[in-house]
Amino acid sequence: MLEKVKEIIVENLGVEEADVKPESNFKEDLGADSLDLFELVMALEEEYGVEIPTEDLEKIATVNDVIEYIESHK
Amino acid sequence: MKTEVTSLLGIEYPIIQGGMAWVAEYHLAAAVSNAGGLGLIGAASAPPEWVREQIREAKKLTDKPFGVNIMLISPHADDVAKVVIEEGVKVVTTGAGSPEKYMEMWKKAGIKVIPVVASVALAKRMERCGADAVVAEGTEAGGHIGENTTMVLVPQVADAVSIPVIAAGGIADGRGMAAAFMLGAKGIQLGTIFVVSNEAQVHENYKERIIKAKDIDSRVTGRSTGHPVRALRNDMTKKYIELENKGASFEELELLTLGGLRKAVVEGDVKAGSVMSGQIAGLVKERMSCQEIVQKLVVEADGLIKGAKFYE
Repeated sequence: MLEKVKEIIVENLGVEEADVKPESNFKEDLGADSLDLFELVMALEEEYGVEIPTEDLEKIATVNDVIEYIESHK
Repeated sequence: MKTEVTSLLGIEYPIIQGGMAWVAEYHLAAAVSNAGGLGLIGAASAPPEWVREQIREAKKLTDKPFGVNIMLISPHADDVAKVVIEEGVKVVTTGAGSPEKYMEMWKKAGIKVIPVVASVALAKRMERCGADAVVAEGTEAGGHIGENTTMVLVPQVADAVSIPVIAAGGIADGRGMAAAFMLGAKGIQLGTIFVVSNEAQVHENYKERIIKAKDIDSRVTGRSTGHPVRALRNDMTKKYIELENKGASFEELELLTLGGLRKAVVEGDVKAGSVMSGQIAGLVKERMSCQEIVQKLVVEADGLIKGAKFYE
């Protein structure tokens, strides 16, 4: 799953794959602003058939957080 | 002038006045609504009791619908979200994020919800969670802005959602209004031109600065911190951009703008304050009442669209 999520992150945030690590923070390490995060969340929701409400977005800071969130809400 | 926006909101013309912090208070909101558009009270970071008072005062001046703009990152957002229901407000627009968590309670209260968006993805998300329309605001706008221009954003949002789209950013006359319709919008939202309206309770210096502004006079501060804001250039923007280019910290930059909008709007300090304005300030040359502004927009846009003939 990490590989697929990475691919979606690379595509939506325009970052290098090598920079996307499980512990990468979207805002601090990958330079994402709030619009970028919505872009990413929409793509992830589509791929995994989950809905991530905005309240939960605040809990998602790193790549690992995303993977854990999707796994527990699938 | 009937469009999906006028029927949705129960207004005469598809013209909305932006919910500008410090500027959009009840005198202005009521004047725009009385002129046949939709006036907004800008809740910004104000406490809920201020907003309640504003709504009650607006009701004394108009029996037409008006709305409240809620800035979602305000520390008072949760309370203001309840006040609009308690006071029977008909329309809520939202800025700085997604209002999903309030959607259910607002819809239950019969409130029309119109989030301001700066991207296609956010517009789609808003439609999915039940928004009645969206304001697609381009980077030409004043205050907090996104990156896309109105010209680029509006047609893409109009293609992506089936709810009505209201164009904002860079519109101040009938040509802009007609262009917005051409791009797929069903209504427009304007800020800057209403700041200089006779009814706006804004310091004379601020109004004068907008009237005198030229096309190249606006600056964007805060790109480095991820919170870009457009204002007319002055000592503050100059110092800010210098510091920003030197890599100053967020805290250091914050100090420069703290209370800056209030300083400009209320005290008239247009040198050190933050004179937020859209790029279109250069086109805003005369002072009018809200009634005159709305009529002029409608007559010009209507004439242009009906008489449109651009080539043989």
